[in-house]
Amino acid sequence: MGTWTPEVIQMIIRGILETLYMTVLSTVFGYVLGLPWGIVLAVTDQDGIRPKTGVYRVLDVVTNIMRSIPFLILLILVIPITKFIVGKSYGSTATIVPLVISAAPFIARMVESSLKEVDHGVVEAAQSMGAGLWQIITKVLLPEARVSLITGATITFGTILGYSAMAGTVGGGGLGDIAIRYGYYRYQADIMIVTVILLVLLEQIFQIIGMRMATVLDKRHV
Amino acid sequence: MILITKGKSDMPIIEVRGLYKTFETKTNTVEALKDINFEVEAGDIYGIIGMSGAGKSTLVRCLNYLETPTRGTVTVEGQELGKLGDKELRDLRSSIGMIFQGFNLLMQKTCLDNICFPLLIHGTPKGEARQKAAQLLETVGLSDKAAAYPAQLSGGQRQRVAIARALACDPKILLCDEATSALDPQTTQSILQLLKKINQETGITIVIITHQMSVVREICRHVAIVENGEIVENGLVADIFTHPKSKAARRLIIEGKDPDEWEKENGAESATPGNARAADLTTPILHENRRIRIVFGTTSSFEPVIANMILTVGHPVNILKADTKDVGGTARGEMILGLPEDKDVQEKVISYLREHGLDVEEVD
Repeated sequence: MGTWTPEVIQMIIRGILETLYMTVLSTVFGYVLGLPWGIVLAVTDQDGIRPKTGVYRVLDVVTNIMRSIPFLILLILVIPITKFIVGKSYGSTATIVPLVISAAPFIARMVESSLKEVDHGVVEAAQSMGAGLWQIITKVLLPEARVSLITGATITFGTILGYSAMAGTVGGGGLGDIAIRYGYYRYQADIMIVTVILLVLLEQIFQIIGMRMATVLDKRHV
Repeated sequence: MILITKGKSDMPIIEVRGLYKTFETKTNTVEALKDINFEVEAGDIYGIIGMSGAGKSTLVRCLNYLETPTRGTVTVEGQELGKLGDKELRDLRSSIGMIFQGFNLLMQKTCLDNICFPLLIHGTPKGEARQKAAQLLETVGLSDKAAAYPAQLSGGQRQRVAIARALACDPKILLCDEATSALDPQTTQSILQLLKKINQETGITIVIITHQMSVVREICRHVAIVENGEIVENGLVADIFTHPKSKAARRLIIEGKDPDEWEKENGAESATPGNARAADLTTPILHENRRIRIVFGTTSSFEPVIANMILTVGHPVNILKADTKDVGGTARGEMILGLPEDKDVQEKVISYLREHGLDVEEVD
């Protein structure tokens, strides 16, 4: 009974909020970088609407390199950047920086593959009407790929949630931080189990919301 | 022969000169189009027919520069497309509508929004665009489907929406790329009738790419036959139907086969069409070794020509095939006759028929 003092409960609530803060902001900033990045990848690829082999190759390689660095190592590698942007290298705000850097290339790939799913015929039809590149991206590719894009965002959110917990092991804050400090260092298994259950619940809730949105917005099967 | 003469004064709306298109792949070069020359007059319905892989889809894409030709010029309404800048080309495209075999509608937008799309990208205010789109839905007979999504429509209805969309910017030209190939015969008919109606009401020029001879016969006035990237024959449908010169035209018209079926037949190494097979069965009796095809115009159907010919010549002929086809709105009778072995008799038959105003063609 001694475990669940008001202080502990407050700490867990703060943990939930910190985790949400990190995950949501990282997803948002991740898309700020990853969405245009993915669009450029899809558009400049050999069978894209503006093939630019040079641009595609460079971006492709950069994406692959960034994607292959393990998150924990990236976390440490980018500490100078984190310090420069946030002013410190620990805490949940600081964790957002490596989370965004790690999520952006992942998001770029998701966006690229979603946009490439759009039927080429529809793009051709838009071109035949005189649509320009920007119009095709904003009025054809993105709206037509929206279901796949939302599914991708849901997966991204889950991945970032998991990474944010990992960042907790090096003082990143949030539920992962609590799980490590209490569950692992202090052998308080009950607190660890509760944080894990909460992480699972968070993931479930966002998964359900994302999939609902995708289904409601899909007009291909009505 | 019916000659339809039209004032030569007005410039052709589409003019293609010395057009080549070569595709380079890593392993080889494919000459998709070779020295294509033709013109389309304003208000015409022009068919381009050929087998799949003949290059006709590439050709139609050169007409609005969705494909850039390797060589040659395409001039639309006096503007040479190759000389236009990106922006000018996109503006010109608003006067060239296009429909496709796969309809290519935006699946996440309602029918009304699909039709609004070309108007909005050319800067029409939203309210005006919606009004125009509603009007066009009425033209294609789908007023009740404004709020429906393409997934809720049948193939024929989707193509109607695509036609409405293609007409949204009041184009002068409508390009149809195998627009009826994915539809059943009945729906094909209704789409063709719709195109014909739009052509008559608005005077829009229509270019139809197809592999179906029936489509050309049904609504086209002019036709170009494309084979292996070249136009092997072009002219008035009525003329080509009466006097096919090229092998491809003969196959299309005399055998009445659509190119799809040539492939099947050639694959089976038995290029004998149904009527020739029927002839083989009768050969031992009549010993005919020469076949002719005759076409009846409107005048010759009043007189029992064949019966009179047999009485005059005094020899029977074998009727291998007889058919009536609707060519551009007029009925044309078509008959394939097997002639007796005797050369003199053959000549007599042919000259008799020619004297009576029939067009006679040799058939292999």
